[in-house]
Amino acid sequence: MPVPMVVRMAGPRELTGKAASPGRACGPAFRALAPAAPPAMAGEDARAALAGAVTVAIGELRALAAGADAESAGVLDFQIEMLLDDDLIEPALARIARGEGAALAWAGAMDAHIAALVADDGHDAADTIGARGAGEDAFADGVGERGSGEDAFADGVGERGAGEDAFAARAADLADLRQRVLDALAGRPRADFPAAAIYVGDDMPPSLFLAHDWSKGGGIALGAGSTVSHVAMLARARGVPMVIGLGPLAVVAGQPLLVDGTAGRVGLDPAEPVAPPLPTIIPAAVAGPGGAFRLSVNLNSLSDLAAVDPATVDGVGLVRSEFLFLSPAEALSEERHVDCYRAILARFSGRPVRLRLLDLGGDKALPGLVEGGPASLLGERGIRFLLAHPDLARIQARAILRAAADSPATRDSVSVLLPMVTLPQEVAAMAALFDEEAARLARLGIAARRPPLGIMVEVPAAALTLDLFEAAAFFSVGTNDLMQYLSAAARDNPIAAPLNAGSETALFRLMAQIATTAEALGKPVSVCGDLAGDPEALARLVGLGFRDFSVAPSRLAAIGPLRRAMPAGEG
Amino acid sequence: MSEPSPAFPRERSGARWQTEVEVTHGIGLHARPSVAFTRLAKSFPCAIEVAVDGSADWLNGKSIVKIMGARIRRGTRLRIRAEGFRAEEAIVALGELVRRNFDEDRKNARADGRPDGRPA
Repeated sequence: MPVPMVVRMAGPRELTGKAASPGRACGPAFRALAPAAPPAMAGEDARAALAGAVTVAIGELRALAAGADAESAGVLDFQIEMLLDDDLIEPALARIARGEGAALAWAGAMDAHIAALVADDGHDAADTIGARGAGEDAFADGVGERGSGEDAFADGVGERGAGEDAFAARAADLADLRQRVLDALAGRPRADFPAAAIYVGDDMPPSLFLAHDWSKGGGIALGAGSTVSHVAMLARARGVPMVIGLGPLAVVAGQPLLVDGTAGRVGLDPAEPVAPPLPTIIPAAVAGPGGAFRLSVNLNSLSDLAAVDPATVDGVGLVRSEFLFLSPAEALSEERHVDCYRAILARFSGRPVRLRLLDLGGDKALPGLVEGGPASLLGERGIRFLLAHPDLARIQARAILRAAADSPATRDSVSVLLPMVTLPQEVAAMAALFDEEAARLARLGIAARRPPLGIMVEVPAAALTLDLFEAAAFFSVGTNDLMQYLSAAARDNPIAAPLNAGSETALFRLMAQIATTAEALGKPVSVCGDLAGDPEALARLVGLGFRDFSVAPSRLAAIGPLRRAMPAGEG
Repeated sequence: MSEPSPAFPRERSGARWQTEVEVTHGIGLHARPSVAFTRLAKSFPCAIEVAVDGSADWLNGKSIVKIMGARIRRGTRLRIRAEGFRAEEAIVALGELVRRNFDEDRKNARADGRPDGRPA
């Protein structure tokens, strides 16, 4: 990176780039560090990363045990002993040897250990209840105080004795270990930057955007970047001004900047503070439901929840679940998933909520779990990644099944969207996975509700063959990716971007076919891409027969009134 | 830790020593007893294996994953064998540990806050 020149003496200056997210923001520059080498997590490095994380976890447990009472120390000793056992670690190393990242290998291997405990226990309970009750209940009732004969008499009727509880406790210990090592693998939280600052860098990782508190204002000025990147999409959805394509940036840290995301310009040392940074609150003055079409909202983060008034929308058309989790440890934590889904369902109580399974790959990476990169745009992405790494999919499936069962208010209001579906077999495989996890939860006595599964229509092969997707309960068109794959023009490549935008005719022809096919099949179809947030395009889509749209929170104010302004269609 | 007992039943076959002991602990080898067993096993340099109720499946006695996985319960006949340096001492010590109920019956292993009677 070139040494920043001292430019202040030159007075106000302006850099011209390209508008990526409208609005103006003023603040001190925060210079992103040159991107560190991404944590290489395959092969030997992944082995080393896992070994390091296990060592960290053992150290933490030893420190805890040192200050614990005898009872707690016993539990911690057990966990330490487990982590010291090569037999515990070996399955994870075998998975790493097969090419998995450290976090996924560890989580998957630990899930297998836990599943073995739970499953074996189930068989035992069924097979040998009579033989067990007595001896094991003795543990609960005071070892050495009573003979086994007395125990048999006292506790013979109890079918779930202390033995099962002891096994359940072991499973909980393993789950605890699993999370502790995942946390250690994730390392310290990513470095954030000051609130209300202007982020300056070549590009910005979506996870960094999502981890930052934008409620105090701030903006983004990128040397490179793309208007159709995920971070640009996130910025528009959150109302964070963003300019891209500024070229090499000679900006020093702390230098006052004005980002004009509407004009696509960045002012250096603006003469006067043009406008105080405004908190990005989405105006709630949107007409209520009803009108020419259904309007739902897309959610990218839990902070979006506060920015949307549930009364102004018909529901949530798309939860981009991959943005809810900022580290592999979070993405692999079933409880974290459940917490997020419960928060969303509670906020939109009773209204339909469509949870999309993790759409990882491409520019949506989770280092240690999914490396992403341009190659994976045509490779392991979305449902392909999930089916190739079913442990992750099972975690998310269980969490959705549990959250969907939670309250009567959410009854039948939860549905699941499968990302990047190409062939019907993928839907069948995911449906089987959901059924298996539902059965597993039922065996454990945990409440679960199996939601309907629908597909994202974003791969042209699927878009052209909707009639083959009997297993899909509904369709939702992701116009951003559909456009990218139709035009063979990467949406994060500035050189190809005009081709992407220029393929609109092809997109609308295909949209017409999608609307006709869905209607003939009698299946609900909606549009959840950025296209639906553009009033002109939305009018065309209504003309084609679409009546169900989902847009970013920041687009609700522009699109909401159209529901009444537009003549109600017959669909 | 354990006093080598001359009377403790054991067999020798070449360099391998073997003993058999019944698990009388209330619940069997659950979490705490497994820790006690594997930690003691790991304090010996010899290879140590266990087999449950006449099974021909010999498990690594130093692995808590294997010991827990075997679900060794009260009334189980546990065979312990060791081969190598200090093998005889190892099986005697481990056999005594099982016989002493893993030192747990002198400790009120309850969650209701009774005083911890574990010997120092």
